[in-house]
Amino acid sequence: MPFQKIAEEVTIPTMCSPHCGGNCLLTVHVEQGRIKRVETDLAPEPQLRACMRGRALRQRVYAPDRVLYPLKRTGPRGEGRFERISWDEALDTVAGQIKRVREKFDPEAILFIHSPGDQVCLNNNATIGRLLALGGGYSARFGTPSFQAGMFASYLTYGTVYCSNTRDDLLNARLIIMWGWDPAGTQTGTNTPWFLARAKESGTRIVAVDPLYSDSAATFAEQWIPMRPGTDTAMLLAMAQVMIRENLQDQSFLDTYTVGFDRFAAYVTGEADGVAKTPAWAEDVTGVPAPVIEQLAREYATVKPAALMAGIAPGRTAFGEQYHRAAITLAAMTGNVGIHGGDAAARAWESTLGGYPFGMGSGAAVPKAKNPIEKPKAGTPDIPRGEKYPHIHFTRVADAILKGKKGGYPADYKLLFVVSSNYLNSIPNSNKIAAALKSMEFIVVEEQYMTATARYADIILPTAYFVERDDMALGVGMPYLGFQRKLIEPPGECKPQNEIARELAARLGIADYDTRGPEEPLREVARRLNIPDYEAFKQKGVHWIERSAPHVAFKQQIQDPANHPFPTPSGKIEIYSQRLADLNNPLLPPIPTYIETWESANDPLASRYPLQLVTKHAKRRANAQFDTIPWLKELIPQAIELSVADARKRGVEDGDAVRVFNDRGQMVIPVKVSRRVMPGVAILPAGAWYAPDAKGVDRGGCANVLTRDEPSPGGAFAYNTVLVEVEKA
Amino acid sequence: MQLGIYYDQTRCVGCYTCVVACKDWHDVPAGPASWMRVHSIEAGSYPDLFAAYLIRPCYHCAQPACAAACPAEAIVKSAETGIVTVDPEACLGLEACGGACRESCPYAAPQFGAESEARMQKCDLCAERWAEGKKPICVEGCPMRALDAGPLKELVRKYGDNQEAAGFVRHPDLKPAIVFKKKMWNP
Repeated sequence: MPFQKIAEEVTIPTMCSPHCGGNCLLTVHVEQGRIKRVETDLAPEPQLRACMRGRALRQRVYAPDRVLYPLKRTGPRGEGRFERISWDEALDTVAGQIKRVREKFDPEAILFIHSPGDQVCLNNNATIGRLLALGGGYSARFGTPSFQAGMFASYLTYGTVYCSNTRDDLLNARLIIMWGWDPAGTQTGTNTPWFLARAKESGTRIVAVDPLYSDSAATFAEQWIPMRPGTDTAMLLAMAQVMIRENLQDQSFLDTYTVGFDRFAAYVTGEADGVAKTPAWAEDVTGVPAPVIEQLAREYATVKPAALMAGIAPGRTAFGEQYHRAAITLAAMTGNVGIHGGDAAARAWESTLGGYPFGMGSGAAVPKAKNPIEKPKAGTPDIPRGEKYPHIHFTRVADAILKGKKGGYPADYKLLFVVSSNYLNSIPNSNKIAAALKSMEFIVVEEQYMTATARYADIILPTAYFVERDDMALGVGMPYLGFQRKLIEPPGECKPQNEIARELAARLGIADYDTRGPEEPLREVARRLNIPDYEAFKQKGVHWIERSAPHVAFKQQIQDPANHPFPTPSGKIEIYSQRLADLNNPLLPPIPTYIETWESANDPLASRYPLQLVTKHAKRRANAQFDTIPWLKELIPQAIELSVADARKRGVEDGDAVRVFNDRGQMVIPVKVSRRVMPGVAILPAGAWYAPDAKGVDRGGCANVLTRDEPSPGGAFAYNTVLVEVEKA
Repeated sequence: MQLGIYYDQTRCVGCYTCVVACKDWHDVPAGPASWMRVHSIEAGSYPDLFAAYLIRPCYHCAQPACAAACPAEAIVKSAETGIVTVDPEACLGLEACGGACRESCPYAAPQFGAESEARMQKCDLCAERWAEGKKPICVEGCPMRALDAGPLKELVRKYGDNQEAAGFVRHPDLKPAIVFKKKMWNP
């Protein structure tokens, strides 16, 4: 329907879908082909009310740094000088480069780097994945930066990533433990904070474990337990020790549904290694007083149902897999798996994207194509979405580009295809990534904005935003789907991503990319999901999947274990994992184990860099998206948060410019002195855009200038295992 | 009749959705003018802390100090709705008058943009939305459902007549049209 031709203001509901962890309804006012302003969900409650990022839609669509035309680089990489070219020239160049690399080198030499961009069915990175697979194969980055540790632990322990309850089930909990989980600061399901507020108002006790007195802690929690970053597993083990010591564990649950509790108990009690993981032991490690650990252990073991909401931030550490495996083990010990008001304490996918078995994946409207060169990789556990040849852990991609075959990687990389990814900004060790990007033969970037990464491209292909094409979006936290109608023409010459892929396919001689018309892929997904009335869905912008009760993961497994085993090799919750035992890797032990991180507070490096950095999500960004939107930027200036004690020690005052540094990089940004930060910890919101000055000092406040490009043995991205120092600039 | 605002301070997480929704709806650019502001309040010392937020729209006082202070009589209070509005044509501008309205308002509700000869602008409680049967954009957009608006008498009936909140200074002489659910330290 051509709204842009209607002269007066019309209002159309659609679903906002940037990669934030939410997805909300926006009612967009369009006048003469332009977005005039927005409202949010106007239907009766429960509404999907948008946040400040969604409300800033107009500034995002009409942003001055939006890439409007295909661009060709004219200056050195990173400098940002480009000239406008035609789509034909851009696509011919990209297709020509792909052909050249395919003919001269192995398919592995094509490296595909993608991030989610929009959480939608059709116009996302799956398009280029299909294109490159049909064209003969490619190397890709491996790992999910947000929650690889959570995925690893969920697959190994429960056998699946379908581990989450819908958020409305929080209303059934009597105790909620927000462990490194701040849904008021990070979108983790639309309405999640609203459910927490209502749970609290109905008498549910809420406790926060977090090195920061977050907005979630301040709003919902009766008790805040500050804990040293990277030591979560130690505190969880000590809680287990208290439960075992006082015989509080749900033994019949453990006997029926789990394997290996006895071995875990032997480790926790010290029978196995001579070290009892007592609260006193954990106090030394975590900084949490032993009586506080004891009390929380008793509460979690005796107040039922209780939801241990184990956030994914503590998993973004070295050995973060152990934290998730330990949290799951506690959920099993307390019998809180598979019941209303409980929680499996596994955090991975929490959307219709896969977190619930409602059957729609990101890119669901793009037919799957197998990458012909992909195969299992030795030395990694055989699990779905585990590491496979020839893919490279995302944190090691820069190293792979710089070293190639000489460094033991599968190829010398020639062509980098970046889709919806501010790679340079979002992945550890930005300075090293910048060096790698400078060394590439050819880089093509599909983007909406002139991001830090796009500045290194040879060709930029400008893409349409969600109001500029038809698509379907995925619900997060609750079972719904959104329809996104094309409300305005894409500005300039921006194109929907699925059109770009089709045009490249034609140039590469790939006849079977997708022969269906533009709407059929969406209709087909709607049919698969049993959406009864496609047109009504389109008009309303949202479809709710009806249920009689909140969805609870593993309900069947718990109610009827004989007929519904867990999808693990043993059919049970694997506290002891034979698959891990078979790896024979002491850093991936078969039971949840505390392993001290590198760059911990005890590391000799701490004498030079004594602050533990936590790179939390920024309220006003969705990962690296939205950083330059003026309405958002003015509200929360990028700054590093230091405790009052640490600021005093360094002679800095609130608002002072400070230098934040370690061996990997440095930045100059303002300091925010905050009583809400645990002493010894520095908090830097992630996602600000990398902007190095002539001396290589980042002025943008990009957290990954400081982070380490080494994955945890199970694939976790160690964004929160970083030592730094701060001094007056 | 007096329209007013209800704010549940215990629910507010400081997400700033109201601020941006307001700027978008009323077409206010980034810059010093913001019809809705959210203040952060912190007390105590680590680890015994209190943190809260406080909204700062215009409270549409029964006795608006800004109207009394305006040398050009550009600020009027509607008898029908109680909404306090400014006539930008009549306003002398910040440079000419020095912002007497802003000086007089203890809540700094009158706002000025960065442009030269900026005229006063401020929250009008989304006057034109009421005509369409809609509540203010901030109320309908609040993800925490922490806001409401309506005839003050109805709000008082529904939520009580508490006029205290953390960070809020009462000015009984002005009679701001707001009721709160106050966030307490160690409730």
